[in-house]
Amino acid sequence: MNALLILIPLSLVLLLAAIWAFAWAVKRGQFDDLDTPAIDILQGEPEPAPRRPSAVEDGDAG
Amino acid sequence: MNATLAAMSGGERAGTVDTTCFHCGEPLPAAPAMRMFDGASRRFCCDGCAAAAQWIGDADLDAYYRLRERPGARIDEDDGALALWDREEVQAEHARTLDDGGREITLLTDGMRCAACAWLIDRALSREEGVTDISANAVTGRIRISWDPARTPLSRPLRRLQSLGYRPFLAAGVQQERERRRERNRWLLRIGIAALGSMQAMMFAEALYLDTARQMSLPMRDFLRWIAFLVSTPVVFYAGWPFIAGAARELRHRAPGMDTLIAGSTLLAWAGSVAETVRGGPQVWYDAAVMFVFLLLVARLLEQRVRATASAQVDALARARPAFASRETADGQREAVAVGALSAGDIVRVAPGEPVPADALLLDADASFAEALLTGEATPVPKHPGDQVFAGSLCGAQAARLQLTAVGTQTRLSQLAALIEQAQAHRPPLALAADRIARGFVLALALATIAVYVAWRLHDPSRAFEVALALLVVCCPCALSLAVPAALAAANGALARIGVLPLRADALARLARIDTVVFDKTGTLSLPGGVLRVESLDGLGDAEALRIAAALERDSAHPLAAAFHAAPAADTTIATGVVEHRGAGIEGVVDGRRWRIGLAGFAAATRHDDGAIWLGDGDIASARFTFDESARTDARPTLDALRRLGIASELASGDGDVAVTRFAGLVGIDAAHARMSPEGKLAHVRDLQAQGRVVAMVGDGINDGPVLAGADVSFALGDGNALAARAADLVLASPTLLRIAQAVVLARRTRAVIRQNLAWALLYNLLALPAAALGMVSPWQAALGMALSSLLVTANALRLARVPRA
Repeated sequence: MNALLILIPLSLVLLLAAIWAFAWAVKRGQFDDLDTPAIDILQGEPEPAPRRPSAVEDGDAG
Repeated sequence: MNATLAAMSGGERAGTVDTTCFHCGEPLPAAPAMRMFDGASRRFCCDGCAAAAQWIGDADLDAYYRLRERPGARIDEDDGALALWDREEVQAEHARTLDDGGREITLLTDGMRCAACAWLIDRALSREEGVTDISANAVTGRIRISWDPARTPLSRPLRRLQSLGYRPFLAAGVQQERERRRERNRWLLRIGIAALGSMQAMMFAEALYLDTARQMSLPMRDFLRWIAFLVSTPVVFYAGWPFIAGAARELRHRAPGMDTLIAGSTLLAWAGSVAETVRGGPQVWYDAAVMFVFLLLVARLLEQRVRATASAQVDALARARPAFASRETADGQREAVAVGALSAGDIVRVAPGEPVPADALLLDADASFAEALLTGEATPVPKHPGDQVFAGSLCGAQAARLQLTAVGTQTRLSQLAALIEQAQAHRPPLALAADRIARGFVLALALATIAVYVAWRLHDPSRAFEVALALLVVCCPCALSLAVPAALAAANGALARIGVLPLRADALARLARIDTVVFDKTGTLSLPGGVLRVESLDGLGDAEALRIAAALERDSAHPLAAAFHAAPAADTTIATGVVEHRGAGIEGVVDGRRWRIGLAGFAAATRHDDGAIWLGDGDIASARFTFDESARTDARPTLDALRRLGIASELASGDGDVAVTRFAGLVGIDAAHARMSPEGKLAHVRDLQAQGRVVAMVGDGINDGPVLAGADVSFALGDGNALAARAADLVLASPTLLRIAQAVVLARRTRAVIRQNLAWALLYNLLALPAAALGMVSPWQAALGMALSSLLVTANALRLARVPRA
């Protein structure tokens, strides 16, 4: 039974951690938009991402 | 002497690459712009679209064209107005300064139609110099931009946005925006804490319950109880605060309702448990308290989500408000000012095609204004000096000078937006009835609980509290009050997904009862335009007749007018003094001669009214136009689907006998009525209703205002304009007519689910009440029973979220 005396407070700590993580995610706006990310993941950024699209015309060979 | 020309308009046939703009899907002009894109030569309607596609391709964002579900918006020329966004007074009102010195603004845009657009905006703007953060949400049409004012003015990313076809509009005040987000976040946090907390509390409660043989040591038992107390207290008081606050409100108004019962039983279960924990009694009920709070929060969130989606539609009205206006200063100069800075009495100028910034009086000269947003009537209304002009209406062909009378929230437009918001916040009668039943139930239950408590006190005092608590919990009419809102929430979500937007709370309930659908032919079942035939009569010449007709019809929004818009040389001839007579035709002066176009009785009285469109001077006919209308490809499947549902379809059209009969045969419709005025259509609908039929009307929302209002339930086709057509109950935002049949199926299923739910909830409460009163149910069984009953009802409702096939 002594194991419980450690495990239960531990579970409470984990509970607090989970609540903190959830609150952090909500505050950071992780749940603001649940539609666009679904598309985002299908379409990764191409490897040499052109940082400035206007400069592409000059050097589009590379 | 017959000439035929194909005059197609609208996007229905415009699916192929050859005839429409690659970017926006609009018909191509005679000399389209050509660009190489993705290894193939593509055609564009204008340089703006071509440049946008070029930029998208160059920026490696061409995946947009694969991901998107609908064509983009046509791209307007940059009018330089974007520089106004950099003004300090605009940003002071709408932007927020961030901690790191950057700024943040929330905008609305009109072209964002699917998640691919949001994706494109996200990618495109995040590459702009000085933009630190960007998020675009296709559901709400909002874009949030954070930028560094030291590195870029706001107008630069906005110019990029506009060049891609998304025009920025000011959202409602920054305060409201932030409040909306904060409210949503608070709810999410409450649910999260309730979920995590009740999971833990139930775990500890389970440990206590499983000790059936009473082997657990007393210190261990008390330790577990105190831990459960620790975990459940924030759930009851933080997560459950909305219920407690609601109960306080209800008690203040002396109208105890659901919140009173929910808060009452959770607090009772919690307080009873605390008392038992302190004095080491035999039983605690923390699990019952937290389970209650969590499940009910989930149900409320479901309902709120639907409301939020619906309110995103209201923003279409906010978009009608321009960001800036051109104000006249005392010395006659003009200055551009933010609309928020205008006040009553100011004199402003509005250019053709621009929205009016606030309610005003017209000065100087006659002008015309399209008040589609306010009345649903797209035809410009002619106004004389001194007439009232309303915010949100679009200025017609001439520029106008206006003196403002009401600004901001005082305008008709703002009041209309408030009205729609109100309608959406309004609870349907069915939900209200369920609430009423639940309220009566609450009082009865409170009395029953007291009676049972007293009875048990006399019979077996040790079990009295437990039995009373079990009774209170097991009989909570949660399932009863969830039965309707959960079903409506799921159904509304499914409706929104198929592009049917309910504007009235009880539209769904009425839709389930219909047995007759009346279609307005022009523009609903048929394609706009069609093939136009010209037959000139008194030596006018086909081309000349068409030229005059096109000039007269140029500004008309009538679906048939679209066929004339596509005529060659439609833009070169200008008609003056154009007056549109509703249900008859158009009158105007072209090249110094007065012409009338429309029905025979109006344009050429000497001719027999045969359904054709006549051009004449009022007596003598000069030309005759006929349309070979083609049915929408989905017209016949829709009618078949409706027939399978046991719904009769009728056609009520303003066109002539021959055309209507031919068209009815074409689509296979049962009953067709020709030559009906809007008043005639309304009388016909009333006739059907007198025969006991329940009638749904499908119209384009432009000419059908009174009929749409008179029918039991009404559909309006189209998006922005029809949204504000207060007459319509549902707006069909998707171009497919089949959605009507799907919506009916969904409405009927919703009705069935609501009935099942109500029946189950009543049955459950009737069975549970005597069982609990006799002491056969312990509080944890009660909470579980109540929870399972609520979950059953919710799960049953969620079946509606699946989109039906018609």
